[in-house]
Amino acid sequence: MNLETVNANVSRVPFFRFLNFEVQSLDSLYADAEMTFEPRHVGNPVMEHYHGGIIASFMEATAAIAVHPTFAEVPAKPINLTVDYLRPGVKGPMFARANVTRKGKRIASVSVITWQTAQDKPVAEGLYHFLLV
Amino acid sequence: MPEITQQKMEQIAQLWNARGSGLITHMALDIEEVSVEGVRVRMPFNPDFCVDGDQTLLHGGILTALLDSVFGLANFVAIEGVSTMATLDLRVDYLRAARSRADVIVHAHCFRKTRHIAFNSGSIWFDGHEDAEIARGTASFALTRGEISLFDAMKEGKAS
Repeated sequence: MNLETVNANVSRVPFFRFLNFEVQSLDSLYADAEMTFEPRHVGNPVMEHYHGGIIASFMEATAAIAVHPTFAEVPAKPINLTVDYLRPGVKGPMFARANVTRKGKRIASVSVITWQTAQDKPVAEGLYHFLLV
Repeated sequence: MPEITQQKMEQIAQLWNARGSGLITHMALDIEEVSVEGVRVRMPFNPDFCVDGDQTLLHGGILTALLDSVFGLANFVAIEGVSTMATLDLRVDYLRAARSRADVIVHAHCFRKTRHIAFNSGSIWFDGHEDAEIARGTASFALTRGEISLFDAMKEGKAS
C-alpha cells in the first residue's frame, strides 16, 4: 500500500486536517500514525493536556485507516467504541497504532493504543467497531 | 434538590467562555440548560468537523469529544468540591450517520456520584430531531476533592 496515496486521502478529510496527523506505516493488519500537538487539541488549559475527545478521535481515525486505507469518499463507518484513559496526554506529539483484530464480511474489530514517550506507557487504549457494508 | 445559584451559573459560563484556544472554544459550545438533573449544550455546525468533501457528515470523534466535554460540565454542576476530574473510560454508540448542517444538541447528566467516581450518560441529536438520536454515550470519571475547586484552579491558571 502506498503511504503517499493514503496520506493524500487523509489530507482531503476536513476533520483529519483538524487533528493534523500523518500515517507513518501500514499494511492489511495495522496502521501507525503520528499527531502533531495543536493548541486547539487542548482540553485542560491549565496543564495543556490533550482533550480526551481528541485522543479518542485520533484513535478512531487511525483505526478507520487500518480497516480501509484506500477509502475514496469517506473513511470506514464507525459503529461504536470504548476508550480506557490511562495517562494524561501532555503537550507534544502523540502516536497511535491500530491493529485489526478481526475483519469479516460486514464488521471489523480494531484495537488501538496511543502513547507519547514509550509504547509501553500508553496514554489510552481503545476498541472500535466498523461497518464494512 | 439544591438549586444552582446564579453566581455558580455565571462562573460556569465564564469558565467555558474563557478557555482561550482549546477544543471547547473551537466547538463554540453554548450552554442552554443547567441543573443538577442534567445539562443541555448546543454546538453550532462547523465544517472543520466533517469527513466528506461536501462537508455535511460529522466525524464520530467530534461527537465523542462533545460527550466527554459535556459530561465534565454535568459533573462540575452536580458535584460540590471537585478539585480535579479525569475521564476513566468512555463508551459511545453511533446510532445513525451524522449527516446534517443543523446545530448539534447534547444532553448529559451524572446519574451516580461517589467520593471518588462519577458516572455519566448522554445523548446527541440534531436540533429539531430529538426523536432521531445520532449518538449515545456513557462514561466514568475519577474525582479528587479538595480545598481548591476546579474552577479556582482554572482561574488561577488563567491569571498566571
